[in-house]
Amino acid sequence: MKETTNKYLIVALLLGLAFHGSSIFFTLETTYDALIHLFFADHYANSWFEPWNYKWYTGFTVMSYPPLVHQSIALLSMIGGLKFGLFTVAIISILLFITGVYRFSLLITGNRTTAGYAALLAVFSSSFVETLHLFGQLPSIVGISVLMHALPEIYLWLKTGKYWYLATSLSLIAVTVTSHHVTPIFGMIFFIFPLIGMVIMDVSRESVDTIKAVTIRVFIQSFLKLLKRIISFGLLSLIIIIGCILPYWINSKNNPITQVPIPHGSRDNFLEITSSGLVFFIIPWGILLILLPYLFYRYYSKRYLFFGLSFTLLTILGTGGTTAIPKTILGETAFNILTLDRFTLWASIMALPIMGEFAYRFVQGDLKTLIQSKFGAVYHRIIGGILAGLFIFMTIFTMSLSYFRPSQPDTIKMLPIVNFLNQDNHDQWRFLTLGFGDQMAWLSAQTNAMTVDGNYHSARRLPELTTRPIERLENSKFKGVAGIGSLQQFLTRPEKYNLKYIFSNDKFYDPILYFCGWQRLRQLENGIMVWERLNIPPVSSILPKDDVAKWQKILWGTIPLLTVLLAFLLNIHMLWINALKTKFKASPAFLNFKHDYSKFSPTVLKVTHIWSLVLALLVCLAMYQFYIKNDSQHNPENAIIAYYDALDFKEFETAFNLINPNSNMTISQYMLEVSVTDGLLSSYAKLDAIETMVTTQTNNMATVKVITKWITPLEKINKVDYKILSKLNGKWYLEPDQLNTDLPPDQLYSANSTSYHNQGRRRITTEQTHHEDVLKQPVLEVLSAKLVKYENHYAIVGEIQNIDNVPADVVLKGTLYNDVNKELASYNAKYHMKHKLMPKETTAFKINFEGIAWSRTKDSIPDTFNPDEFTPVEFEEQPTKFNLQAAGNVSGSDLFKNLTLSNIEISEKEINGQLFNSGLQEITIPQLLITYYDEHKTILWVDHLFVKEGIRQQRKQDFEYAILNESKVNVINDIMDNIYVNGLPNDQISRKIISKRIDNHANSELQPVSHPNYSFIKIETNSYIGNPN
Amino acid sequence: MRVLPAYLFLLVLISLSSFAAIKQADKASEIELQTVQTEFIAGHKITLRFSNSEGVEPLLYCTNSYGSTLIRPYIEGGILNYSIPKHITQKKGIVSWKLIHGNISLSGQFTIKAKPEVASMETYIGPPSIQAGGTDYTMMVVIPTDALDNPLPEDTTVKTKHQFLSTEISDTIKTKHLVAYKNIYSKKESGRMLVSSECLNINSKEFTINVMPAIPVGFSISAKRPHGYADGNQITTFETSILKDKDNNIVSDGTFVTFSISNEKNNILKTYGSTINGIATAKMIHPDYGSHWQIQAYVIGMAQSNILSLNYKQAISDFEVQFSENNRVITIGPLKSFMDQMIPDGLSVKLQIYKNNTTIESIKTTSANGYAQFKLKPDLVKNDDYTIVIQTAGLEKTFKNTTLW
Repeated sequence: MKETTNKYLIVALLLGLAFHGSSIFFTLETTYDALIHLFFADHYANSWFEPWNYKWYTGFTVMSYPPLVHQSIALLSMIGGLKFGLFTVAIISILLFITGVYRFSLLITGNRTTAGYAALLAVFSSSFVETLHLFGQLPSIVGISVLMHALPEIYLWLKTGKYWYLATSLSLIAVTVTSHHVTPIFGMIFFIFPLIGMVIMDVSRESVDTIKAVTIRVFIQSFLKLLKRIISFGLLSLIIIIGCILPYWINSKNNPITQVPIPHGSRDNFLEITSSGLVFFIIPWGILLILLPYLFYRYYSKRYLFFGLSFTLLTILGTGGTTAIPKTILGETAFNILTLDRFTLWASIMALPIMGEFAYRFVQGDLKTLIQSKFGAVYHRIIGGILAGLFIFMTIFTMSLSYFRPSQPDTIKMLPIVNFLNQDNHDQWRFLTLGFGDQMAWLSAQTNAMTVDGNYHSARRLPELTTRPIERLENSKFKGVAGIGSLQQFLTRPEKYNLKYIFSNDKFYDPILYFCGWQRLRQLENGIMVWERLNIPPVSSILPKDDVAKWQKILWGTIPLLTVLLAFLLNIHMLWINALKTKFKASPAFLNFKHDYSKFSPTVLKVTHIWSLVLALLVCLAMYQFYIKNDSQHNPENAIIAYYDALDFKEFETAFNLINPNSNMTISQYMLEVSVTDGLLSSYAKLDAIETMVTTQTNNMATVKVITKWITPLEKINKVDYKILSKLNGKWYLEPDQLNTDLPPDQLYSANSTSYHNQGRRRITTEQTHHEDVLKQPVLEVLSAKLVKYENHYAIVGEIQNIDNVPADVVLKGTLYNDVNKELASYNAKYHMKHKLMPKETTAFKINFEGIAWSRTKDSIPDTFNPDEFTPVEFEEQPTKFNLQAAGNVSGSDLFKNLTLSNIEISEKEINGQLFNSGLQEITIPQLLITYYDEHKTILWVDHLFVKEGIRQQRKQDFEYAILNESKVNVINDIMDNIYVNGLPNDQISRKIISKRIDNHANSELQPVSHPNYSFIKIETNSYIGNPN
Repeated sequence: MRVLPAYLFLLVLISLSSFAAIKQADKASEIELQTVQTEFIAGHKITLRFSNSEGVEPLLYCTNSYGSTLIRPYIEGGILNYSIPKHITQKKGIVSWKLIHGNISLSGQFTIKAKPEVASMETYIGPPSIQAGGTDYTMMVVIPTDALDNPLPEDTTVKTKHQFLSTEISDTIKTKHLVAYKNIYSKKESGRMLVSSECLNINSKEFTINVMPAIPVGFSISAKRPHGYADGNQITTFETSILKDKDNNIVSDGTFVTFSISNEKNNILKTYGSTINGIATAKMIHPDYGSHWQIQAYVIGMAQSNILSLNYKQAISDFEVQFSENNRVITIGPLKSFMDQMIPDGLSVKLQIYKNNTTIESIKTTSANGYAQFKLKPDLVKNDDYTIVIQTAGLEKTFKNTTLW
């Protein structure tokens, strides 16, 4: 019989290429993973055989991810650049997937037409669309596609025992494992084991007359008959899985993943967190959900029994944390490491052959006949229309999801950043990006500069990162306490990591950068703000690395592409014959096991109908719930939540529409009032949790207690508001709040101030800065410093003065020692000091010794978020001495000093006061530094207060500060011998400038308080200007 | 017995070789240095010549402070010529050589001197800024070098010149241990000092030293204000006299001055200023209640001002309170200022609600158009009898047993 080309497959390939091939250019770069693979590819393009990469995480090995896809992109990048490589590999993966589905379906159904249908459906299958266009998991797609290509070969080897098939199947397994490590391991369990079961079933079937005659005995007999082939295949494939990426396994053994698990949406309870349910359950399943009864019915028929079991298991595992079953099956560790969405992906792929079969039977087979005879042709057409419509809807919905809910910030033009890093040796320091999303990988691929961050969390090495459940520092605001906490450690001690530049695409982080001592350098033309920290040494020219043996490097660099070459050579023959029909070929053995498509079971049809009805009801219910929850004016709670949501996302018009229209408030007035409020709470806070309690409610009025929790980069803010709502025309509205009516005294006023500019290099040269252009480091003097213990943590407190004639940026580093001079801990002053000092200005300071927070056990991570909270370092020994290193550098920025203390009332437990902005800049975040003194007016402790509201020019702002509780501060050491300024002894350097200092000069100006432990306090002010003009 | 011939052979071989060695040593002893010059100028070609009668060509080992090398000779008319490579001849210093041949060796050394001309003046000055007053100094280090980067010999004279204000001083120093240095002390005045140096008619480039003023000494302060009323809505500006150091130099711009205000309650208020041309100004909003301020300014640890006293007269003498809507709306006002005009918006008014001497609630608001209003929400304050205290402008009114319903 002359074989004809399968039209469906050809159509599927053409459609697939046209549809995916054109749309990847708009989707792939905004996916989660694609740019990470691009970064890896860049690594191979530059150093093919050297697995160590310095650019991320202070160095990591690329042997932590199978290299095939990355190396292929790297190879292709030699022709047309990295992105050319990426898209080419993506297009190849699309082809591999469609043909893979075809071959897998042919194997399962033994019918070319149904396999063609399956291939056609696979093109638009929502799980494939999601994996490619939303997640960008290229290695995963290549892995599963090649595995599907391997399945028929494995079948033929087991069935026929021809060694040729053993070779082809193993060659394909090798390609699978070099492209994705998880796929062949789980593929063994979920695809190959059931396949083996099917082969045995087929062999058994051949030895008896009917399928019914296949008993367990017959089955075992056949199993024993095939045992040798099964074992030989199993062992050889095991060797291949281990051998082909042996360096990967060695690396995983040497550097086991000992990090705190990173939360992943696929482990959520889908009923509680519906967004995860949508992305990880509804979308990948799509229309398959309707076909579930048919899928189970077919997969639980005797021949496919093992596929049925595997399919069931995959379905259950894919439900994530909705039920406890997946956790029980996988165990705690595997559950927390694996992303469970892959199980759903595999289940949906396994369903494709049967879906193709269903489509065939529905479109031109027995199901059509059955429906038409039972319900009529019109019904059949309507159902067909609905199914096709739903199918296409799911595809379009999935494709457009990233348009409606962007998972990434807008595309950032990288060229200005790349240019900046190349200029003036800026790449001699490490950098950090904030708010870049996965685009940071693309930046890393384009520059030689290194970052402390990275985007492949399994390769993280710094304990500051591995002990937190955060993927990247870059998006730490989404990771609550752990994220900001981690980030703060990097910002406070940047010299440890040679971190000098921060590219910020998110102004949320600005306050923490300022208060940690960073300064704005300039805004690049792409809108990215560059922050800089002074006093950071450049990265040393020789960096440590974990070297591996040469044979590993050679193996890693050669094997993956060799497997592809080998697989290609072994399979090209078949491909040639299959595609071009050059010669007649005996049809493969699995085509002998055809299913009879003549009588569709009416029961299955009935069950499918009932199931569809249930699904439809569920969808309606969900939509109703969604409506009730989202109808912002249905009840007072909804109105409150909608109002706060609108404020959180700065949708002021939406917020205004929830304000009582009878309140005489116009939108322009409302917008005006909103626009003049600035500060930590209104500009830098992210609503973390909101709780509403209706305290009283009548038909038309309600009062609601609103408890809100806000995350700011500096600290957590809890707020309680009482809101009054009224009902008009069946809708609930909020009553507007009262406004601060403070009127500034002057309409126009002027002030003079000294501003500074540091030229940097005066000559335009690439040489090192000329000797005479290097400014002298400003001289500082530490006026007092002591090591104290308060409650359970140690701190160095004191006062420091800039005694030079130029403004200084001050970095303070404290180190604690025990009695035998063993170093115990070292840390920098964070925000308990003014980092920028005018000539002769003083500041109090406190250095807290933070441990790497929550490094002990993952259990102790607090559920509630508080960026302000810190973990005191745990000392094995008692610190008794300290060393303080102060470094000054000339800086002309952030020298606003016009925040005055205009009123103060002191009670026993509280200080109430008023701040006044006498300057020309709007203060975004005022900070108070409160220093406590004992009765002899010597310093004991330093505390701080961030005032939540900003202060506009010539306005007043009240503050409340709770005086410290009665815990006593123990002074451990106040000997000031080991204090150094710019590397020189504090005493000598200061005596040179001030020979006769007036000691305790302003002591008469300390504020007396009545407190059992403290007699005096001093209040200093510091201010962050968000938008300097 | 077959071992014997082998032994014999070995014996013959040893005796032969020792003979050869002795012969060679004889020849080496005839090699003699012919070059007599032991001092050379850097950069000149240097060739060491040795007599050689037998045609052997031993290597010459040659070393200076930068490293060592072996030199192969070339023979010209029976004379061994060793041409010293450039990397040695271009560096000033002592070069040692050794010629080893067999067990006899010749050795010697020669000196290379810098070229007697200056090509560049390597100059360092630091720190680039010093303090006026005559005690602080900066150090200038000059290294005159020839075209091959060799420092000139000891005791080469270097002329240093510096200009400060109207004086131009020139001085001579001599190089010692390759460098010449000089400490330049500041004068009493602050200003800019320009420094250069000269050696063998070659001049260095210009260097700048900033002489900064020293720490300030005592100063005085004054205040300016539109009126003397405590209306909480005008600004008092404090100004210092010109801050100078002990030698009458105006302190550098930006010098930070803290103004500490102590009021009649002994509470300390703070405002800050930084100097321009020695004068620092600081602003403070007027209090909203009658006050007596004692102001003193500090440059902490260095200087302080006189104490300035200011009185602020009470602007609001009294206010009225009206209760309405079940006593839940409390209106305060009219709040009248010193000419009976309505007080400008923004006067802070505080309401405190007590029940049995414990504070139930404390609310603040600001006045608008001369009035302030509180609306007590029933969730916040339950229906009951309370003592209500209203404070504004330093005045206080108490309403006992006010029933809210």
